[in-house]
Amino acid sequence: MNARAVAAWSACSLFIILSTTSPVYKLMVLAAAVSVLAAGAGLRRIRALLVAVLFIGAFATLLNFVSAHLGATVLFALPAQIPALGGPYTLEAMVFGAVGGITIAAAILSAAPLSLLLDSHEVMDALPAPLSRTGVAIAASLNLVPAVVTSYIQVTDAQRLRGWKPRGPRSLMEVVVPVVLTSVEGSIQLAESMEARGFGSGARTTMASRAFRRSDWLVVAASGVALVAFAGSHATGSAGDWFPYPTLTLPTIHPVPTAGCLLLLAPVIVWRSRR
Amino acid sequence: MAIAALTHLTYWYPGGAKPALSDVCLQIDEGLTVVAGPSGGGKSTLLRIFNGLVPHFHGGRIGGSAEVMGLNVIATPTRKMARHVGFVFQDPELQTVYNVVDREVAFGLENTGVPRRQISGRVEEALHAAGVGALVGRAVRTLSGGERQRVALASALAMRPSLVVLDEPTSQLDPEGAQTVLAAATNLVDEGTSVIISEHRLGHLLRRAGGLVLVDRGIVTGADPSTWIPPAPPVRPARSAALGGEAWSLQRVSAGFDGRLVLEGVNLSGRSGEVVALTGPNGGGKTTLLRVIAGSLAPLFGSVWRCRGRVAYLPQNPSVLLHRPTVRDEVSFTLKRSGELERPGTILEGLGLLPVADRYPRDLSCGERQRAALAAVLPGDPALVLLDEPTRGIDSTARGALVVLVARLRDRGASVVLATHDDDLRNALADRVINVRDGKVSEATFAGRT
Repeated sequence: MNARAVAAWSACSLFIILSTTSPVYKLMVLAAAVSVLAAGAGLRRIRALLVAVLFIGAFATLLNFVSAHLGATVLFALPAQIPALGGPYTLEAMVFGAVGGITIAAAILSAAPLSLLLDSHEVMDALPAPLSRTGVAIAASLNLVPAVVTSYIQVTDAQRLRGWKPRGPRSLMEVVVPVVLTSVEGSIQLAESMEARGFGSGARTTMASRAFRRSDWLVVAASGVALVAFAGSHATGSAGDWFPYPTLTLPTIHPVPTAGCLLLLAPVIVWRSRR
Repeated sequence: MAIAALTHLTYWYPGGAKPALSDVCLQIDEGLTVVAGPSGGGKSTLLRIFNGLVPHFHGGRIGGSAEVMGLNVIATPTRKMARHVGFVFQDPELQTVYNVVDREVAFGLENTGVPRRQISGRVEEALHAAGVGALVGRAVRTLSGGERQRVALASALAMRPSLVVLDEPTSQLDPEGAQTVLAAATNLVDEGTSVIISEHRLGHLLRRAGGLVLVDRGIVTGADPSTWIPPAPPVRPARSAALGGEAWSLQRVSAGFDGRLVLEGVNLSGRSGEVVALTGPNGGGKTTLLRVIAGSLAPLFGSVWRCRGRVAYLPQNPSVLLHRPTVRDEVSFTLKRSGELERPGTILEGLGLLPVADRYPRDLSCGERQRAALAAVLPGDPALVLLDEPTRGIDSTARGALVVLVARLRDRGASVVLATHDDDLRNALADRVINVRDGKVSEATFAGRT
């Protein structure tokens, strides 16, 4: 899929997630994002990402649950004398935390197709000309990430055999310093190589951009309609804001924003129809 | 015809007290020119003059004049020189921008604004010239070291430069990979491109070279490649102690990482006072085998046994060891941790590092860093010595010193395992040679055996 079509889909998904307070629509976007990633990259490849996102969501829920002692439905209470933790623990605080977690998870998964479904050069090719040099620099630095991981393994191996043991922050410096310095040196060598190949000498061209096919137009159109439908519903009040405090209520569901969220499944249909 | 002329050129790196190049007067003619000399002598600095990375990228002070392909290097930025001079660096992994071969080769063309319709043709042409035409569309991460380095050469050639400069392009490659890169480089000369190459494997190149430049301590002199005699390989030191008992052993060991099996069913052992050399292609499993012997990587199956005592381990990338303010501190650090009483000066002197003992290790040249890393792991009396490509980037003098040092440790009873592509080192030290290929090990016949 063309990077610009993927970018349009991601932008629309992010708009919906960040413009609504309703957990229903956020969950719909989250489900659409998981479906798109699973269809495009396969469940096996996204397993680690899903676990990380689940962890972040759980952490957000827990954080709000223990820190916001608001709401009418008290589940239990700790003595108020306990600093930070004391006070009532409410269903509303837990649900509000969970919605925050869903928001973060959905936002991460909505942006993930740009890195998981596209090569870095496809993203660079899709950037407008004024951003292309910045894009190249970012892509090049991303290529150094595996080298950093390798150097971390090498450094810990080598320092352990010289008698290093992880004992507090000071001992960590014996590993962190070589890893950081090796990474910086790698970046400098890469920059030197880029300079030697004319980087920064003027207006760039690109070898090839992936053609914008009918399926790409379909994804862009579906994303555009979803965005308009959601923005319109929001403006007219039919998307309905939701807030759990002081007493938990069920969020309302309306057909137009729901249809908008369902349109985000367009990339799944495109990939399925190709197979 | 001259393609480059340096006149009374002197260059200081930023903050450098002494010049890295001193009053260089040099003319380079068309064809193949070889640059040789000890590590830390200034070869890489000289090569970087030809495309302006020195002084434009590295900064510092420069005096005199340099003209390459009719351009005044001091007044022309590297990004402009790039249209005329291609450059290939030592490390194939640290010069890759894109993750697909053809896009990588096209990078320079894109930077210089070559129209899109011309790029594909020029990429194809460059890949063929570098002998890797079949790699179009391949992911860079799936390539071997030799393939990567030839892709780097193709990236330089795509710009259709009149001059290609290669800075020790084979220092990290196995003999097969190195041979393909050197053959591709010499083919360029046949096709009319001038080549300047700094290299430690000089034999093949000197027969083809039209010019030879020697660089030592910043002094640059010309020599006749047909009469110049390269340094002799190190002599095999006599053994002063008999082999001892078993020092380490691997029983049916399989090992790997990231879900990939790298070693499979390995049975191998080594004795005290014995030197075992591991050879084989890049990616065959030598480094993984060393890590398993060292205890850094646990086997997935099978068992590993090591004798008691310190393990001295030199990783493939020496920089990962170095984090102290001076080279001397690096040695003291290891001695202090191991509780051994040897003076740091002993090993520093042995490896010719006393002149740089109080310098910051990361300010040293590639070869000097390698020696500093050797000094950091080898002081005292380790029981097990594991060295991964210990002669990478070091000159013949340092190689000779390393041979003496390892022979001394061997005679004191250390069990030594070397992973190396260096035939001279293997011939000077190895008691046994083990071929590691596709995760399997086999004993190789070895002429140097005593």
